[in-house]
Amino acid sequence: MFNPWASANPYHDLTFFSFLIQFFKRFGLFVVGRLPMDQLVTDEIQISVLAGVAISSALIGSFLILRRMTMLANSLSHTILMGIVLAYFFSGSNGENKTSIAPMQAMLIASLFMGFVTAFLTEFLTKTGRLQEDASMGLVFTTFFALGIVLVNILTRDAHIGIEAVMGNADALALSDLYWVYVILTVNALIYCLFSKELALTSFDPSLALALGFSPAFFNYLLMAQVSATSITAFRAVGVLLVLAFITGPPLISRLLTHSLFKMIMGGMGIGVACSIIGVALTRHLLTLYGMTLSTSGVVVSTIFVCYLLTATFAPERGLLSNLRNQLKQTLKV
Amino acid sequence: MQIQSLFSFFVDPVLRAPTVGCMLMCLGASLVGVIVFLRRQSLIGEVLSHAAYPGVILGTLFAGIFFVQTFEELKLALFALTGAFITSLLGLWLIHFMEEYCKVPSDAALCFVLSTFFGIGLTIASEVQFSFTSLYKQVLTYLYGQAATMTDIHIAIYGILALGISLLIILLYKEIQVITFDKQYAKSLGINIKTINILIFMLVTLSVIIGIRSVGVVLMSAMLIAPAAAARQFTHRLPVMFLLAGLFGLGSGFFGIYFSVILTDYFSTYFPSARLILPTGPMIVLVASFICIGSLLFAPERGLVIRFMRIAAFRYRCIGENVLKAIWRVGPDTSLHLNQLANYQACSKKYLCFILWRLCNRGWIQRDDAGKYLLTCDGRYKAARIVRLHRLWEVYLVDYLGIGAERVHKNAEEMEHILTPELERELTFLLNDPKEDPHHQPIPPREEFNV
Repeated sequence: MFNPWASANPYHDLTFFSFLIQFFKRFGLFVVGRLPMDQLVTDEIQISVLAGVAISSALIGSFLILRRMTMLANSLSHTILMGIVLAYFFSGSNGENKTSIAPMQAMLIASLFMGFVTAFLTEFLTKTGRLQEDASMGLVFTTFFALGIVLVNILTRDAHIGIEAVMGNADALALSDLYWVYVILTVNALIYCLFSKELALTSFDPSLALALGFSPAFFNYLLMAQVSATSITAFRAVGVLLVLAFITGPPLISRLLTHSLFKMIMGGMGIGVACSIIGVALTRHLLTLYGMTLSTSGVVVSTIFVCYLLTATFAPERGLLSNLRNQLKQTLKV
Repeated sequence: MQIQSLFSFFVDPVLRAPTVGCMLMCLGASLVGVIVFLRRQSLIGEVLSHAAYPGVILGTLFAGIFFVQTFEELKLALFALTGAFITSLLGLWLIHFMEEYCKVPSDAALCFVLSTFFGIGLTIASEVQFSFTSLYKQVLTYLYGQAATMTDIHIAIYGILALGISLLIILLYKEIQVITFDKQYAKSLGINIKTINILIFMLVTLSVIIGIRSVGVVLMSAMLIAPAAAARQFTHRLPVMFLLAGLFGLGSGFFGIYFSVILTDYFSTYFPSARLILPTGPMIVLVASFICIGSLLFAPERGLVIRFMRIAAFRYRCIGENVLKAIWRVGPDTSLHLNQLANYQACSKKYLCFILWRLCNRGWIQRDDAGKYLLTCDGRYKAARIVRLHRLWEVYLVDYLGIGAERVHKNAEEMEHILTPELERELTFLLNDPKEDPHHQPIPPREEFNV
């Protein structure tokens, strides 16, 4: 395929390891300040967006897993399509500017609104409607998603933004996407720094938290708001569905390795960032050697998946192999 | 195209296949949906439909490798569906593995599997897109579903599958029932739970996979949940629930297609420039959700609106009776002003006005010229009866349940609105028609209001 940036991109025609070496060299230059922002190339923008999303996701995802709220995040990733369509509709962006679907501010507000509506309706159906939780969740998000698709068809006349929302398109990222990802990352980090104790308390012992005067419901909604904001900034890069892999994957991997919450979150961040770098490098590697143009976000998620399988097998304490070894020891003793 | 009548959807050569196909598919999904709904695993459909995606794409890849041409629809479908079946089962197994061996909370396992499988699917898709472009375009219909292009072959396939699903449910009915409601009991009966569970999961997978062609990967889970949840509102019995869910499924399949065709027709007549097409899959899901939300709100007994109405009706009766009682207490022949009454009632003044107006209409109270309210003869009987019920119940609580006299008032305050004439007769008989309540207040005699 013809690539107009080929000559400008220092990563052109590199294999996996030379990509990594090149990346760290340029990263060093960037840190020292010898590489200005506007000279970042596509691969680097991809890595920074994905890494930013990964860090945000690890911060939120660990708590979501502990609170058993990940499926609510899944509902949200479906209902957010409604938000995207609404933002598109109300901001009146049509025709001229095809690259940006709607201004980020509008999408942020719309997605926060949809996040709130989703969480509220699910809770309402469960508590007042006396529907079991899984069913109410499923009912809410499938309805909104169907509505979203119908609206996409009616308003935009092509399913393009629908498909892009679900799948993401990491290859069409621009510097402006970077900005919003890091704004939300800063907000997430701030919330974590301010409320880490409260979040942990309401996750592990909601009744104690309530007795001490911290409302678990408030933190539920706060987390949902964070999920909406993170998903909407990430949807350009990875799509609303694959954000879920970032949210659940890395924290689950680090959960296999450690028992402490702090280590789990930090580990999740590290693993997420590492997977992003490896994923982008792998995509470039495959393009160079076999001429395969794979979706970058897909490769990153596949990397997370493989990472999980490897960790689940080889983890020192809770891995499959060490379990087997312990069992063997037991039987031998007997 | 002419606007069709309902029946013509079954005979029209173009519309017949999608209509019947979608209805059969929805039937299968909603029957299976009842089982997963009762097992509280409704979201399994969501995972399965996403986990099927890489399978569909892989199937296409293999189809491309084995030189299947785009017009060989059946072969392509076979490849895609087999792939979908395999990856869905793989996803289920992985969830099981994560829950059992890694001690991952079930929701996190579901979420992880569905998102990563979808990601893997996307990765492969981005490759297939370039190597087998024409095949890929055809397979894209599996992501959002495309009912319009179904042919008679699909009816046959879906018919057989739906029939198979229903037959299996009928054959395994007893086992499914026992396992769903009481696992321990099932074990003691010697039922092989593991086999049945695997069979059930196979059924779910099958029904999800046959559905993704018409509704699409992303929306298939709705068809498992909505009909079952709607059916649950109407019945407590399992066979009825299966029947209702099946009916709702058939209905949403049909009306989904119906509205999609009619509205598209409408739009193309009135806004021809817009070229609007309403996709069938989402319309089916919307109809199913509409049915479900309707039954959540209006189902007799369990419906939300019905429940609220019952509560409101009870409150209306309570306050009306309390007002009568309040006037009677002050003295059967004295009259009270609205403000005096409002002091003792737990409701807003406006609502109290409404209640007083209703009571006047029923002829229990009268409004005199000074704006004060006075009991009529009928009202006096009614009030006396309520007071009698209240005090009888207090006597009963003290004499028979041994509750202290100082604690019985609150309970009696509620019971006076609930006790029926039959219960009153029984109480009178049981307590030997007492003349005084535990607080030494006279109990209005029975004859007074039996005239």
